[in-house]
Amino acid sequence: MTIVRWFGRYYSIFLLLAIYELIVRFGLVSPRLLPSLTVIGEQLWRYLANGELIVQAQVTLYRAFAGFSLALILGMLIGTLMARSRLAERLIEPIFYFGYPIPKIALYPVFIFVFGLGTGSTIALIVLECVYPITIHVHAGMRSADRVLIWAARNMGASPVQIFWRVLVPAALPIFFTGLRIALPVALIITLVTEMIGESRGLGYFVTYASASYQNARAMAAFFVIAAIGFALDRAVLYARRRVVFWQPTDTSIK
Amino acid sequence: MMAKLRGGAWLGLLPPLIVLIVWETMAEAGRLPDYLPAPSIIARQTLTMLASGELMRHIGVSLFQALSGFAIGAFFGTVLGLLSGALRPVDRFYEPLISLTYPVPKIALLPLIFAWFGLGDLSKIVTITISVFYPIYISALAGAKSVSRVHVWAARNMGASATQIIWRVLLPTALPQIFTGLRIGLALSFVVMFVAEMVESSVGLGYLILFAEQNLRFDMMYVAIVSIGIIGFSADFLLRQIGKRLLVGQLTATEIRR
Repeated sequence: MTIVRWFGRYYSIFLLLAIYELIVRFGLVSPRLLPSLTVIGEQLWRYLANGELIVQAQVTLYRAFAGFSLALILGMLIGTLMARSRLAERLIEPIFYFGYPIPKIALYPVFIFVFGLGTGSTIALIVLECVYPITIHVHAGMRSADRVLIWAARNMGASPVQIFWRVLVPAALPIFFTGLRIALPVALIITLVTEMIGESRGLGYFVTYASASYQNARAMAAFFVIAAIGFALDRAVLYARRRVVFWQPTDTSIK
Repeated sequence: MMAKLRGGAWLGLLPPLIVLIVWETMAEAGRLPDYLPAPSIIARQTLTMLASGELMRHIGVSLFQALSGFAIGAFFGTVLGLLSGALRPVDRFYEPLISLTYPVPKIALLPLIFAWFGLGDLSKIVTITISVFYPIYISALAGAKSVSRVHVWAARNMGASATQIIWRVLLPTALPQIFTGLRIGLALSFVVMFVAEMVESSVGLGYLILFAEQNLRFDMMYVAIVSIGIIGFSADFLLRQIGKRLLVGQLTATEIRR
């Protein structure tokens, strides 16, 4: 029963996969361009079994996480500073406000010269891209703290440190997690992009290389791994949010 | 937000100004590596490339790709998002697909899209369309779902058809959220355009940057970087102004400033 209901809920995925397989099986497009699902599965199994995809995934994940963690530390520091000091806010906020819509990826060639080709420049670019959403959301979150709650805490004799940890941080957490959910995929995307442009390691490179050697099935197998990673990371953030911000249900429509 | 900053707004100009002055004097003194040419040299090169029309050619191609991808993605995102919010069968079809593929970095499809659609404009527009579609679809859906039941009942009671309800009730309700989605999508379209051009292209701003870098023409490289920054910022500014006009009286959903 539950299997039937589960199938019914996700019927569109199975429907599209079936249509895809039919198109391929009836030879409507060249199997070179769109390989059959079984061929993709074979390739996926082969490159998972010989460990190549796992090694490349480790490279990509290491870079994404290194950049993301640095951006997290930096973003929390700057965001808190901006929320606590008016002078800092006036000095720094325009950089984040006006810089937000500017595509920072354009600076990648400069970063290659400064940090060298490879992991260094990739991590630097991830930090630059991710620090924007994190800072802005930390700032907005701390600012969203109810004034009355702060007054109440102060009235009851809470020290500034106590107010910070017991009032401001919990108030900022929901919005902070929204920022995390924006920044984590960005870290992954930037890693993949830099690997596609100028790299010889990582999943982004693997996809580009496979597709450039007309091995579309292999490229699609790698894409499935990337998709799984992206999906798992997003679920992890949602899970952490549910555990940490247990008092507030998720605000986003996609769960 | 501007009102809040009044009085101290000039302080925000300080950090970039200091950086520029230090950069210029250091570069004049020859203290900086080659890849950091003086701002005055970059400005001069920009004027030269503007006068020769070369810069406009690259900008034209890039803008064409980014904006057509954005327009197509925005259209499908808004229409499908509103339909999903209005009609349960549509929602049941798209919901699993979207929630499964939403966190997937779509940019990884780029090499495959090049293989499927060729190396020209089409594959870039397709990639941009796919990337832009998601945030706009999701905000249109969330906006449509936030509609008050009473409004829908009232419209139905007064004899409105399903099309009328979507157009006259759902769309106005969802508009502020759609605009938030459009802003995210617009910024995304420039990033994706840029990446696609860097991976494979022979014209456009992304190509210009790589070309300049490979030929060690650092002044040219910064011309492209500055152009893309100005374009990204002004496109966002333009969209915000349109939003302000369209959403008069409605609370703009840009309270979290980005």
